[in-house]
Amino acid sequence: MFLNSVVLILQEILEAALLISILLVLSRQLQLSARWFATGMILGGIGAFILSFNLATISEWLDYAGQEILIATIMLAVLGLLTLIGLYSTLPPSSSRHALPYLMSICVALALSREGAEIVIYLGGILNHQASIQPTFTGAGIGAGIGLSAGVLLYFGLLSLPVSWIFCTCIVLLALIGGTMASQATLLLTQVDWITYSPVLWDSSIWLPEDSIPGHLLYALIGYEATPSLFQAIAYGLGFLLVSISATLGHLNHFRSRRTNTGDK
Amino acid sequence: MFLIAAILAVLTLFNFVAALQGYSSSLKEANKLFDQHLRQTAELIARLYAGHPIKPLDDESTLAYQVWQGQKLLASFGIEQTRPITDFYPGFGYANFDGYRWRTLVYYDQNHRNWIITAERTDLRYRLAESVISHAILPILLSIPLAGLLIWLIISHGLKPLRMLSQQLKNKQADDLSPVVLPELKSELQQVNQSINALMSRLEVALNREKHFTADAAHELRTPISALKIQLHNLEEDISPDNEAFQQLRAGVDRIQHLVEQLLSLYRSTPEQLAHNFCRINLHQLAQDVIAELHTKFETKQQIAELAGQACMIEGDPFALTTLLQNLLNNASKYTPPGGHILVTVSTEGHLVYLKVEDSGPGIAPEDYDKIFKRFQRLNNKPDGSTTPGCGLGMTIVRNIADLHRARIEIERSRFESGTAFIIIFTRTED
Repeated sequence: MFLNSVVLILQEILEAALLISILLVLSRQLQLSARWFATGMILGGIGAFILSFNLATISEWLDYAGQEILIATIMLAVLGLLTLIGLYSTLPPSSSRHALPYLMSICVALALSREGAEIVIYLGGILNHQASIQPTFTGAGIGAGIGLSAGVLLYFGLLSLPVSWIFCTCIVLLALIGGTMASQATLLLTQVDWITYSPVLWDSSIWLPEDSIPGHLLYALIGYEATPSLFQAIAYGLGFLLVSISATLGHLNHFRSRRTNTGDK
Repeated sequence: MFLIAAILAVLTLFNFVAALQGYSSSLKEANKLFDQHLRQTAELIARLYAGHPIKPLDDESTLAYQVWQGQKLLASFGIEQTRPITDFYPGFGYANFDGYRWRTLVYYDQNHRNWIITAERTDLRYRLAESVISHAILPILLSIPLAGLLIWLIISHGLKPLRMLSQQLKNKQADDLSPVVLPELKSELQQVNQSINALMSRLEVALNREKHFTADAAHELRTPISALKIQLHNLEEDISPDNEAFQQLRAGVDRIQHLVEQLLSLYRSTPEQLAHNFCRINLHQLAQDVIAELHTKFETKQQIAELAGQACMIEGDPFALTTLLQNLLNNASKYTPPGGHILVTVSTEGHLVYLKVEDSGPGIAPEDYDKIFKRFQRLNNKPDGSTTPGCGLGMTIVRNIADLHRARIEIERSRFESGTAFIIIFTRTED
């Protein structure tokens, strides 16, 4: 129970912590008020409880594929939000900056709802087994500690980069998370037969198992999979490209408008 | 905030990962232990069904037992002796046999009225326990250097602004009281930086006030001193010019006037006050003008003032350089006895221009060379040990003006039998 609890909590907390850290650094670079973070956390907490209490009903929808479809939809929504965040954060400040806090808030709320619901269901289930409570909650504490520490270190690590690198690194990391979201959504849709199975591209579980701590870290950061399927890899690439291209377009637009302004003068 | 959060995160991460790793390793080790006991239990059962073996099957077994009924040994395992391992008292205990210390358990089977004694070697028990614990501790031990390295990097990074602040303060010129500007300051250091800049600003105001006070006071004193001089002139007509009290009064007023003029010159010779009206000046011509201006003074003391050398052009402030020459020549005249020599030489060598003022006064001991540039410093260099009248500001003014012109001052013995030579070395301007 202890190890299961560590692995599950670590994976959920780590994913959320890394996403939040990157968004916080980006928001700091763009000099946005951090109020969106508090709003996102509160909404995410409420969303997690609502989702966890209704997941049993949801899983019966769509011929018992409801849970997978809903989670995949949330993941694709997060990908969409990351694309918009990438685009708006690189656009000229006056045009659309005001929308960014809302986008970040919704992104955090959706991610926390998904991760939080799984934690609430898992820990809620354990409460009925008296003997498992102590090892489970100890494991949950350790998993949460590792996940939060990694998030804090990523936050400070990004801030300690040379100023000109911070923004670019944040966008690349967001694009990687976007790729992970697309890949995981593909996996879930494959599990419920909404997408056909595709061959496994490689198996690196011997060198770096997914259930090891580095495996979890890499999964949360770059969506590492020891045995990815072809469609997952394609989805990963598309997700990555979507966020990076939107950020590049925004940057080009910003650059063009700056040149126009300079030309006017 | 940054240091606390980052160090806490590093410690949590490493401790928890190490604990997790330790847990996994210990669990594996404990499982091995349980498996070993399971195997030994199976072996025991096998031997019980096979009869009553006396000798163990292999040397790895950590367990031994005896089954007694009254004084009769029914069965034994892992031990050769045929007497009881320990006394027949139910419970745990220790016993020594076969050259080892054993942990024992005595159990009485009431159904068959048998005494069962089981024993395990303590050294092997400790070895197994240590193996489990060491597997738990090892990851913590290995994580410490890594955590230390990360903490060192974090602290170095966290203290970087403080190092930059101290470096900026260290690199500041003595008279530079401008605010310290640091990029990307953490909130804790913003307070320190603001306090330092506020202190600089207050210090600058105080220093300016002090500088202006001296100059303002000197300036304000000029008018009453001029009035005093007029009154002295009027008084001179009414009383005998040989009156001793009158003579001392006039000498005193002259000294006050000189001090006030020197204080004003000192103030005007500071870099902030000189307007940097630099232009090309013929130093030889300037020296000639100043000697001519002070001619009466030299004549009164029957001193011979001469000018040697050639025309040399330098970049300089005419007013400041006139003050410099006046101070050097006044000084030379003051210390040179009546009938003595004063020689001013302007020469060039390479890209340097030398202004040398020599006198035939008593001279200055080499150990006093540094002292003469201090404010209000006067040397007892008269043969009788007395001090020459003056305010002790002349050479400070000379040094200020030389510094302003990036000129160097050297002092040496003059070419006369006794006396001092002051050499001011300027950089030459191309003709």
